Amino acid sequence: MARSAGFWDRLTGRSQAPPPRARRHRSVVTGAQASATIFVIMRRMRVPLVTLILIFAVSVLGLTLIPGQDDAGRPWDVGFFDAFYFMSYTATTIGFGELPYPFTAAQRLWVMGSIYLTVIGWAYAISALLSLLQDRAFRSALALQHVTRKVARLREPFLLIAGYGQTGESLGRQFDALGRRFTVVDIADARIDALELNTHHADVPGLAGDARNPHDLEVAGLGHPWCEGVLALTDDDEANLAVTMTAALLRPDLPVVTRTISPVMAHRMAAFGEPTVINPFDRFGDHLRLALRAPASYQLMSWLEAGPGAPLPERAVPPAPGRWVVCGYGRFGRHFTADLRAEGLEVTAIDLHPDDDDPDLLVGDGSDPEVLARADLAGAVGFVAGTDDDTTNLSLVAEARDANPDLFVAARRNQPASAVLFDAMDLDAVLIPTEVVAQEAYARLSTPLLWRFVRELSGCSDAWSAELVDRLTATCGERLEALWKVRLDDDEAPSLGPWLRRGELRLGDLLRDPETREDRLDAVPLVALRGEECTLAPGADFVLHPGDQLLFVGRPSERRALSTSLTDPSAPAYLVTGRREPSGWLWRRLSRRTPAPAG
Amino acid sequence: MNLEKVVFGFFVLLAATLNFGFFIGDIADPELHNEYELFAAVVVSLIATVLKFGDRTQIGAVHLATSLVADLQLIAATVVFAYAAHVSTEGLTASSTAAVVSLSGGALLANMVSVVLLVTETVSFHRS
Repeated sequence: MARSAGFWDRLTGRSQAPPPRARRHRSVVTGAQASATIFVIMRRMRVPLVTLILIFAVSVLGLTLIPGQDDAGRPWDVGFFDAFYFMSYTATTIGFGELPYPFTAAQRLWVMGSIYLTVIGWAYAISALLSLLQDRAFRSALALQHVTRKVARLREPFLLIAGYGQTGESLGRQFDALGRRFTVVDIADARIDALELNTHHADVPGLAGDARNPHDLEVAGLGHPWCEGVLALTDDDEANLAVTMTAALLRPDLPVVTRTISPVMAHRMAAFGEPTVINPFDRFGDHLRLALRAPASYQLMSWLEAGPGAPLPERAVPPAPGRWVVCGYGRFGRHFTADLRAEGLEVTAIDLHPDDDDPDLLVGDGSDPEVLARADLAGAVGFVAGTDDDTTNLSLVAEARDANPDLFVAARRNQPASAVLFDAMDLDAVLIPTEVVAQEAYARLSTPLLWRFVRELSGCSDAWSAELVDRLTATCGERLEALWKVRLDDDEAPSLGPWLRRGELRLGDLLRDPETREDRLDAVPLVALRGEECTLAPGADFVLHPGDQLLFVGRPSERRALSTSLTDPSAPAYLVTGRREPSGWLWRRLSRRTPAPAG
Repeated sequence: MNLEKVVFGFFVLLAATLNFGFFIGDIADPELHNEYELFAAVVVSLIATVLKFGDRTQIGAVHLATSLVADLQLIAATVVFAYAAHVSTEGLTASSTAAVVSLSGGALLANMVSVVLLVTETVSFHRS
């Protein structure tokens, strides 16, 4: 029953009541703030409107007071009705002529004056209105109201992304592909405009506002009962801290993912609640260590984190253990050097202006041939160009390759515009800080099971990962299929209940085609989570229990087939024993007469 | 003394007094109800409405509402008047005059509420 209710809710767009945890937050936005613009307009239109009314009133009144005559020359006074009619078409410059009778000279004298007056009145009122519509404050207030309304109408879980730069954009694309909703706050109008031009499946409310301002976050849905997470991805550490703080204070129940490259800032962020702080330099070091130790594990991880539709990344061949040369000893270089040393590798770092006196640090310009010669590239195995300037990095790579063509070369890419150049250089590893953050945030928020998998992966052997990659490519091809989660409870798997409780259902049986059980479903189970216990890539004889959570990779058709098995009461018996049990009432009655075989 | 308040009070009161002047007299007698007075009442009422635009207080909202009611009633009265005088073949009869005057009577009630609000606002201002 629970499932069919869910179906109808999805079909009609209605959903269950929002999660109760959201009720306790305090609202920052009041309706008055949103409608303030209307009052500003009305206030500014006061003078033009009063002027217009007065001009009209005087013109009409004068016309009724001046004596006129009809076409036969008899005295005839223009009434209010005719006077108002005449002034209406004259003032708006339509001009039907002198109706109903030609005017006398006195009337014409009056009309002449009132024509100039009314035209000025109209022009004044209309130009005042138009300049109000052009007003920047007014337009942004209109946009604010628009976003407020769109966010308030959201009736499904959504994420709040503060900062829609490269990271935010690529994350947004991934979440959209998963069918997840999100809202955006960004300080730059241009990025919000770009958001509207992007072809997302769902409508994305985007507010051009300051994420440091709690009011703007509130408008973007921080207080919304369906908000399920906040991502602070601006390129300003202070702003990220402000978002983390606001979210922790106003909605302590929400998970927060934020990024920074400064350990001090990470410490300050951690003071508010339990935010997930991603430091891309730190992560890249972890990734590179994984890539050096277990290239297949690294390949698998980066593939899964790239999201559905991503092509299988190449498996890099790690260099033999040896000495590394790191150019640029800033934040990134320091992190990286420490990571490599922790791995037991020898490192020579080069920097022009070093802050501390490291014994292995070469002081000098990395692009100077003499300095590079001192670093002895010929005797090194790896080279990292890690400055914050793309041109420098590229030229460093070229020089290093010149000195030693067999080097393993890694470089840091800062600007998206230089992507083509980095591709053309054919590097062994590229660090793109924004993408590192996007992938990590995706792994954490898309489904908790994927994050669990990624975390456990570093403990697995390289051969194991290579085998799993082969399995994935054999079942799904070179492009990653959708990842989906199944929880084996009464809501999602009502038909399996008795089988799960008896402990008679194995994963291998569940992954059979419910139509012909000899065919296996082309879905690969990545993780099985039972309580806190986590099994990576569970095998066919993995016995399923009630409440288990499973993460699969596979095509949508396989997912549909599996959901049939989960909901059709007669399916599990057929999957396990191969015997078809009648599911209809009549057939069940009939079959009950024959004695059922034991089991 | 706030000039804005003077202008505001002037127009609110004038709208009410003009309206009253048009309304008073035998309801069905066209002789007793001057069309110039109705015209003036409409114009002043419209100006009073515009002056009430953009006030975000609660009492300002009620002010605007009463003014809009008065405008509606008075414009309806002028439309009936124009119809009776220019469109209908019978001219300005007793019944059509009664319709016009009773509509303006409704507007008078709304204008009275406006005046009461104005007085209340003033009194409560002095107290605080």
